[in-house]
Amino acid sequence: MTHRELELQLDAYVDGELAPEDARELEAHLSACGDCARLHEARVALSAAIREQVPALRAPGALRDRVRATLRDAARTTRVRRGLPAVATRWLALAASLATVAVGSWRLALSGAGEDALAGQVLASHVRSLMPGHLTDVVSSDQHTVKPWFNGKLDFSPPVYDFAGRGFPLIGGRLDYVGGRAVAALVYGRRQHVINVFLWPTRGSVGGAPRVATRQGYHLLQWTTPEYAYWVVSDLGLAELHDFAHLLRQGDSTAAGPAAAPPPP
Amino acid sequence: MESSELERFEAIVLPHLDAAYTLARYLTRNDHDAQDIVQDAYLRALKYFGGFRGQGSAGDGRTWLLAIVRNTAHTWRRRHRSDALTTEFDEKLHSDAAAEHTPATALDSDSARQSLYQALDRLGPEFREVIVLRELEGLSYKEIGDVTGVPIGTVMSRLSRARRRLQETLRNREEGE
Repeated sequence: MTHRELELQLDAYVDGELAPEDARELEAHLSACGDCARLHEARVALSAAIREQVPALRAPGALRDRVRATLRDAARTTRVRRGLPAVATRWLALAASLATVAVGSWRLALSGAGEDALAGQVLASHVRSLMPGHLTDVVSSDQHTVKPWFNGKLDFSPPVYDFAGRGFPLIGGRLDYVGGRAVAALVYGRRQHVINVFLWPTRGSVGGAPRVATRQGYHLLQWTTPEYAYWVVSDLGLAELHDFAHLLRQGDSTAAGPAAAPPPP
Repeated sequence: MESSELERFEAIVLPHLDAAYTLARYLTRNDHDAQDIVQDAYLRALKYFGGFRGQGSAGDGRTWLLAIVRNTAHTWRRRHRSDALTTEFDEKLHSDAAAEHTPATALDSDSARQSLYQALDRLGPEFREVIVLRELEGLSYKEIGDVTGVPIGTVMSRLSRARRRLQETLRNREEGE
């Protein structure tokens, strides 16, 4: 056996990978050959030094959060994307669908060309948010984390509620751009469905019940409170989306119930 | 994707995040790139999870994930080859690692650790990865072969050569001082 072959066997022996009969043979050789015995000792020492001095690392907490959030986003969009062709084709299809929205096929008429264009932008933002990594800038089911996150990013502090107790858990928030201004986008979940809530301050007249539009499988609800314009978009069934809108419109009083529950330890 | 499928994925693959990060970090020698690689690898893993589960219960989530991390890191290195060649001694990695370890004899140990890191840094990636997988992750030759896509005989010879080079570098260093 050459020295090189011996060295290979020695490493396999140190790693516990040598077959028992070969190991016995090697051990006999080690007890007889000083050079090989010294090499063996050096290899054991090296192995020990590496294990002691070069630690296995712990993943940073931020990476853990990032990976989890990315996986959740990706798992959601997989459903949306399933069966669709490559990215470019998807965008063409999306552009085509938005063009159709823009010429107007609303079930109930919106109040004018301006609002119609706004609806197109809101729908585009919703669809874009479903692409990997675009859903949330801040991931948290705690409204006391999401609300302050908007500080300094917007010129208003959006009301944020968690409706987990009603089956619409808060997932997070992000900044978006609609109608020529930065707006708050709040993200809620309902089973596998994503709900985007867009809101921004307005001084417009307060409307009555939410107006509804449906296009390409997405429902859009729009209403105005004394302070804010709201747009809610989702592929969730219209009845459930109305339930969700109802919760939002009730605002503080209803939200205070489930949201006031203490956070889990 | 069904939420139960995501839960299965998280249960099988997420526990190996530390192992994934360790491999990526020692391969790239850079925290930022290692984090990007790990994130990218998890996305790829999610995409191919159906294929992994198709292999049946024999599949090992850790080995499977590490193979993806390793391939992602190699793709990354090919893309950044010019940078990789000029990568400096990774102070942060070494100080991080040092912070996690409290040596009995601080001075000797610090100097020994630095020598070891520098010797590791000088190994080619195909040698460094087998050392990390064997010594830090404790993988068997068979598992290392699965991760790196080479036969067990090649794993054996790469490990042996890697150790010989480490010893030579360390010996030359001692003699140089």
